[in-house]
Amino acid sequence: MAGRRVLITGVSTPLGMQLARRLEADEDVKYVAGLDSKQPTGRLDRTDFIEADIREPSELAVIARTRVDTVVHNNILRRPRSGMTSQTAHDINVIGSLQLLAACEKADTIRSIVVRGSAGIYGSEPAAPQFFTEEMSRLYPLRTRFQRDVGEIENYFAGYARRRPGVTCTMLRYQPAIGTSLDTQVTRYLAQPLVPTYLGFDPRLQFVHEDDGLEALIAAVKRPVRGAVNVASRGTIGLTRLLRMAGKPTLPLPPQLFGAATASMQRLGMPALSADFQRLLRYGRGVDLARLTDEVGFRPRFSTAEAVADYLRGRDAAAPAASGHEASVPP
Amino acid sequence: MSESRDRASRPSVGDATVGSAIGFLRRLRSGLEAGAELPVALGSAVASLPQGARDGVERVVGRRSGDYQEDDWGFDEEFAEAVFPLLEAMYDRWWRVEAEGAEKVPAHGRSLLVANHAGILPWDATMMSVALMRHHPLPRYPRFLVLNWAFDLPYVSVVMRKVGGVPASPHNAERLLHDDQLVAVFPEGVKGAGKDFRDRYRLQRFGRGGFVELALRTGAPITPVAVVGSEEIYPKLGDNRLLARLTGAPYFPITPTFPLLGPLGAVPLPSKWRIEFCEPIETAQYGAERADDRRLVLELSERVQETIQRKLYENLVKRGSAFV
Repeated sequence: MAGRRVLITGVSTPLGMQLARRLEADEDVKYVAGLDSKQPTGRLDRTDFIEADIREPSELAVIARTRVDTVVHNNILRRPRSGMTSQTAHDINVIGSLQLLAACEKADTIRSIVVRGSAGIYGSEPAAPQFFTEEMSRLYPLRTRFQRDVGEIENYFAGYARRRPGVTCTMLRYQPAIGTSLDTQVTRYLAQPLVPTYLGFDPRLQFVHEDDGLEALIAAVKRPVRGAVNVASRGTIGLTRLLRMAGKPTLPLPPQLFGAATASMQRLGMPALSADFQRLLRYGRGVDLARLTDEVGFRPRFSTAEAVADYLRGRDAAAPAASGHEASVPP
Repeated sequence: MSESRDRASRPSVGDATVGSAIGFLRRLRSGLEAGAELPVALGSAVASLPQGARDGVERVVGRRSGDYQEDDWGFDEEFAEAVFPLLEAMYDRWWRVEAEGAEKVPAHGRSLLVANHAGILPWDATMMSVALMRHHPLPRYPRFLVLNWAFDLPYVSVVMRKVGGVPASPHNAERLLHDDQLVAVFPEGVKGAGKDFRDRYRLQRFGRGGFVELALRTGAPITPVAVVGSEEIYPKLGDNRLLARLTGAPYFPITPTFPLLGPLGAVPLPSKWRIEFCEPIETAQYGAERADDRRLVLELSERVQETIQRKLYENLVKRGSAFV
């Protein structure tokens, strides 16, 4: 295991930078390369930064020259970044993955590829299994654009893994992430002053705490396994309980009006809710973690409820006494 | 918390003559006027209530701030306990249920309850829960599989999962059994749910025996259960294909009260019920690999079906007239 050479795509994202720092500090890892289209905001010590657009084959040609044995694909966008069209996000996700694989074909040193994919491929369905296991990814049709993107990405990597039996491809299926250092759909949703919900629905949600998400990624780099692996913190939490813990006023909307109402709230400056996230808010989703714990050998430290509580503590500490809530409770 | 309550209650000693409800409201208002948020104000106002009411309100306040537990399946024991008296009232007064053989249900470990079923709403499953909670020496809440479509209904879906309902999927059932739960299934499925009134208590085909495969794979004993009364609560006279397609429902029932009386049509008729739990059938001796043995699966499935059908007829005779 010593002398590993690792390349991380999407290294300028918070998770990408955390991963690069951890690998830098790891003496088993001889070399770390980070690829992204923009410079990382934080400081990285010995990471070899490669500025490249993942969609451009000519810019990815350097991958073969880095002679890495492991590629961590951390450049799949859950939602378009601010100012980005959904078409661009689709291109980065699908064309980017395709070009990355094409570049990997040319690099014969590669032994494993770890992809930070999404549990969105399971969808959110009213009568779904309460805990999806990895082989249940095709139970339901892929309904949203993001789901279809994830489906295609998984197909590309599965095809590559079939053609190159010497390379171990790990498809990590992440549940939505939550954490104070992250800016995800979940954290944006919880940051709204008034939180829209589906009237009469209380879905079971499952998140991955940012620490669990990072540790799972490191565990998969250290011990790659073939095929898909679900990644999440343990257990689920009801949306109602979550919003009560967060102390958020809710705006329950009838399902027929939800899309239109949130779209007009978006014009008032509220964050956009992706089609996937809207379905999640109605039907929820839980995944099974047996493969992650038994085969990758990583047991999440947080339960989903603890992850939420930890996030709320961190958020309240960052904005002290803003609500006056603490002050009114006698010691 | 208790310290602060004591301190807050001291000034209220003088209010002892005031009715506790008025005292409560007065303290609540003063709390709110002092700028406290609702849960906090409620919390301090509770101090003026008698102990019993105080516990109740504290639980409500706790729940309002998200201080409650749901297990991974969304089962909410506190909620289930809170609605239990309501279900008991249905059990005693509305349906006058008589239960028999509850003690035969295995007291611990994985176990499957298999029963007849009609209608979408799982009233029969909740009444089986009440029977077990009351008459079993070691009571536990069963989990029950509910017709998938019901999980797309607002409110209904939430209440069902909080009292132990789970979408009917073999994956869910198998996982619950692996967790050593007591699981109630209704193998008639959609065919049972859409049964006509004239077909009441005539068991529909038990699918392809999926519940037996489950039992074999997990080694869970099967307890057949005959429920008499549940098939008269929504006497389905016919159904409307067009409305079913428009609402996305598996069928659109026409009963004497629905859709004529609108939502009131969802009130079940007060038939008289009998629930009989039969002798459990062990499956562990066959081994998990026999789950693929079609002959064994169909044989056991038929045995269960025959037992339930026979017990249904027996209990129909014992019960006598349906409504009085």
